[in-house]
Amino acid sequence: MSHTQTGGPILSVAGVSGGYGGADILHGIDMTVGPHEIVGIVGPNGAGKSTALKAIFGLVQVRGGAIRFENRDITGWAPNRIVRCGIGYVPQVDNVFREMTVAENLEMGAFLRRHGLDEALERVYTLFPDLVEKRRKAAGSLSGGQRQMVAFGRALMLDPQLLLLDEPTAGLSPRYREQIFQIVRDVRAAGVAVLLVEQHAKQALAFCDRAYVLASGRNRAEGTGPGLVADREIAQMFLGG
Amino acid sequence: MDLLSFVNFYLIPGIVLGAIYALGAIGITLVFGVLRFAHLAHGDMATLGAFLALALVTGLGLNPWVALPFAMAATAVIAVTLHWLFYEHLRRRSAILTVIASLGVALMLRAVVQVIWGADSQSYVGGITRPESYFGIRIKDRELWTLGATVALVIGLQLFLTFTRWGKAMRAMSDNPDLARLSGIDTRLTTALTWTIIGLLCAAAGFFLGINTELKPLMGWYMLLPMFAAAILGGVGRIEGAILGGMVIGIAEECSVLFLPAEYKSALAFVILLIMLAVRPTGLLRGKVL
Repeated sequence: MSHTQTGGPILSVAGVSGGYGGADILHGIDMTVGPHEIVGIVGPNGAGKSTALKAIFGLVQVRGGAIRFENRDITGWAPNRIVRCGIGYVPQVDNVFREMTVAENLEMGAFLRRHGLDEALERVYTLFPDLVEKRRKAAGSLSGGQRQMVAFGRALMLDPQLLLLDEPTAGLSPRYREQIFQIVRDVRAAGVAVLLVEQHAKQALAFCDRAYVLASGRNRAEGTGPGLVADREIAQMFLGG
Repeated sequence: MDLLSFVNFYLIPGIVLGAIYALGAIGITLVFGVLRFAHLAHGDMATLGAFLALALVTGLGLNPWVALPFAMAATAVIAVTLHWLFYEHLRRRSAILTVIASLGVALMLRAVVQVIWGADSQSYVGGITRPESYFGIRIKDRELWTLGATVALVIGLQLFLTFTRWGKAMRAMSDNPDLARLSGIDTRLTTALTWTIIGLLCAAAGFFLGINTELKPLMGWYMLLPMFAAAILGGVGRIEGAILGGMVIGIAEECSVLFLPAEYKSALAFVILLIMLAVRPTGLLRGKVL
């Protein structure tokens, strides 16, 4: 698979297996993300899509394989160490501090940052201008779309090279869904690679540079977004017809 | 009874008692909000703080108000140590285990106080203090100091939680502990900081109760129910709620002797709590995280 940029992938996942407790959910998955790429993970329910993201971020025990980020082996690292080395993670649910203001949410994203807080805030507000006037509002009082902006913004405060998004459009109406995809494009335009899990496979594939189809914790297919949608067999088996 | 005697004999003592309950209730609300369990050792930790101040007063001859900050600091260290010894390893288990562990800690602390200081009542200063009169309102110096120190502690705590990096980290951990961890917030340090503040507030509450009444090994244990009642009444997780709840319980207890036999005074907190849980279980101000 060729990358949109030269210089090889920033993230490579090779033969990773693991899961919660005793049972493995992932059975040797492989994937890569290049710089400035938007890569999707799609597949049926229970395919291990979210688990794959969590394994990369150190939230799920990895029992085999290796995860490399920027030429460092980060397999088995704790999340607070991974967040320092340039990966941001946005969980699917409960991804903002509800009772805290928008500005405080962003500040907590930069908790590890000793300097340059104002510059980081400035960058996030430039990316999400809607948040500027809401910055003193409690994050829990915002609309679904704006709340996702806060969640993305919090994860971007440490200036990551890669953002992991777990079903960013879950529970949002189709109108908001398009808004979120636009935000993801804006994030990429700001120089951040994105690896995202998506339930609405077809819509997601239409805008991802590349995507992986997972099923039962294994790689089933990969390719460019439009290419996968055009593949009748894949579409019928895994993408809901 | 005229208004002035009501103020002097019921309202002012009620407000002073309310301030003491409020300090305890704030601590209970902090444990519940950040660490998610009901801290049954809260009262006995307050007793220990009060007796540590007594040790400085009798041992070194310090003025009680000078001894207070040292006793607060020592209680904070003890609170953090108790957390590491007894609660930390239960973190991943069901919260009820930590609650029961805190009951064990309560019994231990009480036993330590009884072994070291004995079972008799003691006081920081001997003799009787006469209240000063301000335009007919009679208030003792130590009551004024108690109210002033309580206000200062509460304002300090609010400023800390609102404006400092670590204060915000405490609120973040109370709001969403998983997300706090994902954001790189050191939850172990935040927990230790929370216990530090709880220790400070506990010692202050115990000291104020001791200086306004007397020191008894069971004083904190008897304060536990009104403090919990105050925290729940105000809405668990809300500092302003704990203050409001403390004031309501304190004033209600002092005024209850107007229409109830004095023996029922301490049952009143229980009655208020029951009514509150039946009518408005979220508390006067709706409970939330910090």
